[in-house]
Amino acid sequence: MKRTWPQSIALFGGLGLLAAVIGLPFWWVASGSIKVPREIISRVPTMVPHSFTLQHFEKLLQSTDFPGYLLNSMVVALFSTAFTIALALPAAYAFFRMEFPGRAALYRVILLAYAFPSVVVLIPIYGLFARLGLIDTRIGLVIVNIAFALPFSIWMMRSFLASVPREIEEAAVIDGAPPRVILLRILTPLIAPGIASVSIFTFIASWTEYLFASVLIVSDAKRTIPVGFAGIIGQYQIDWGLLLAGATAATIPVVILFAFVGRWFVSGLTEGAVK
Amino acid sequence: MRTGIAMSNPRLAFLFVAPALAFLAAVLGWPLVQAIILSFQNVGVIGTAGSWVGFDNHVSVLGGLGFWNAFGRSAIWVVGNAAVQTALALGVALILNQKFPGVRIARTWIILTWIVPTVVVVIIWRWLLSTSGGMVNPLLIQAGVIDRPVGFFATREGSMASLIMINSWRWFPFTALMMLAGLTRIPSDLYEAARIDGASAIKRFTRITWPLLQPTLLVLGIVGTLLSFNVFDVIWLLTAGGPSQATQTLPVLIYETAFKGYRLSEAATVSVLTSLLLMGFALLATRAMTASEDAR
Repeated sequence: MKRTWPQSIALFGGLGLLAAVIGLPFWWVASGSIKVPREIISRVPTMVPHSFTLQHFEKLLQSTDFPGYLLNSMVVALFSTAFTIALALPAAYAFFRMEFPGRAALYRVILLAYAFPSVVVLIPIYGLFARLGLIDTRIGLVIVNIAFALPFSIWMMRSFLASVPREIEEAAVIDGAPPRVILLRILTPLIAPGIASVSIFTFIASWTEYLFASVLIVSDAKRTIPVGFAGIIGQYQIDWGLLLAGATAATIPVVILFAFVGRWFVSGLTEGAVK
Repeated sequence: MRTGIAMSNPRLAFLFVAPALAFLAAVLGWPLVQAIILSFQNVGVIGTAGSWVGFDNHVSVLGGLGFWNAFGRSAIWVVGNAAVQTALALGVALILNQKFPGVRIARTWIILTWIVPTVVVVIIWRWLLSTSGGMVNPLLIQAGVIDRPVGFFATREGSMASLIMINSWRWFPFTALMMLAGLTRIPSDLYEAARIDGASAIKRFTRITWPLLQPTLLVLGIVGTLLSFNVFDVIWLLTAGGPSQATQTLPVLIYETAFKGYRLSEAATVSVLTSLLLMGFALLATRAMTASEDAR
């Protein structure tokens, strides 16, 4: 089909506007992080930096433990992701491919986990973790992240499992393959895109989690990026250069990750949703 | 209905579900029970002991203004976010549903605002909206909207409005992708037929796109309401509920009561009442959804 001129103008005008609304804030922050302080707070903001300095990034490395925050975030997010997949995959399989009494009711209970504000369980979890010695540990954060990512992950696997023809499993059953083999050797490769998008979702959710990390982590050495960074905000008289450098440095890892896996995630999100 | 490998083996199915269920029961279910127990006690600082006080907390919370004011702010917050995000996301979804060079890239990178930590979103907007060096004030002055820099977080209404815009900026791409999923599911021969019958673009939207998008919008409305209701970090990091509690939604109130006011039982009570509220909403909403599905 052919677009008329007004339609093309509307389409590309809309796209341009969208790119500006999403892209410009990031551009201003990233370009601001290499401006000298005087240019950052200048009354007439500059679109393209007139100055160049790495002093804000140097300060970020010297006066804060930014690499440490980065490492903590990586570790927490990776472990959260691995364990979420390990729990979600068999559960989703049972929910959407097997019959057992109470299946529908249990599935509903899991979805109910959505209905609760996470802050509701924050108080009791703090008490629970205090008794178990999990306060100020990265394991504690991993446990919390898994719990919050699990319901959505199971739900997201649904449409991917639905896309695998049942004949494949039936053939495997007739050949005498045990269920574990069917799940791990036959189904898992077929729903790899689904596993990928659930992984990315969990990784990002853990990467950006602030509330629990801010309450459960006490020592600076164990802080994740969101909490460590929020500490920098409060710690200094607003030093925009430092904050912009930090924002830029915290954005780069997810941008790199997304450059490789973003396509999978978005297709998983759009295919898994609203079914 | 044909079933999978283990229709005759419920024990195996339970074995598959059990780890996830046990985990959720321990990390979400048990704390929830604890919150309910706490709401019947009078514990102050975390870790101290309390005694049973029955429904005292519930009565005082429901009888006081703090809870209801926060509830009202949460309602404004949820409705504001829903309105802004739905409008933006629908426009964007309609654009991304077209064919044009680079559509895949656009669909992927649009979600950039959602994948960066909230703290980064907070820094971005605190700076862009600031009166020293921020880009928004000069742009608005140039456009003639205002004649001198305004403090976006200086007034009560301004704070709430700014927060809603910032949170919507973070979430509308996500919402748009969900809507796009609904749009791609509308059969294209419907549009072909409408075109052959000479229906205008507006008519195609009001007669095909809009009605067939309703189920998607309903699901998004429910999930989106729960998601935005629970937003805490953007609000806390930008305004901490201020100025003078103008942006203190229920999650902020719970957090402040527990961790700033050291009134743990009161915070647990607000939590439990809030959860009941949300569960009621979720039940009504899902019932409405199944009803509309049955009607079809």
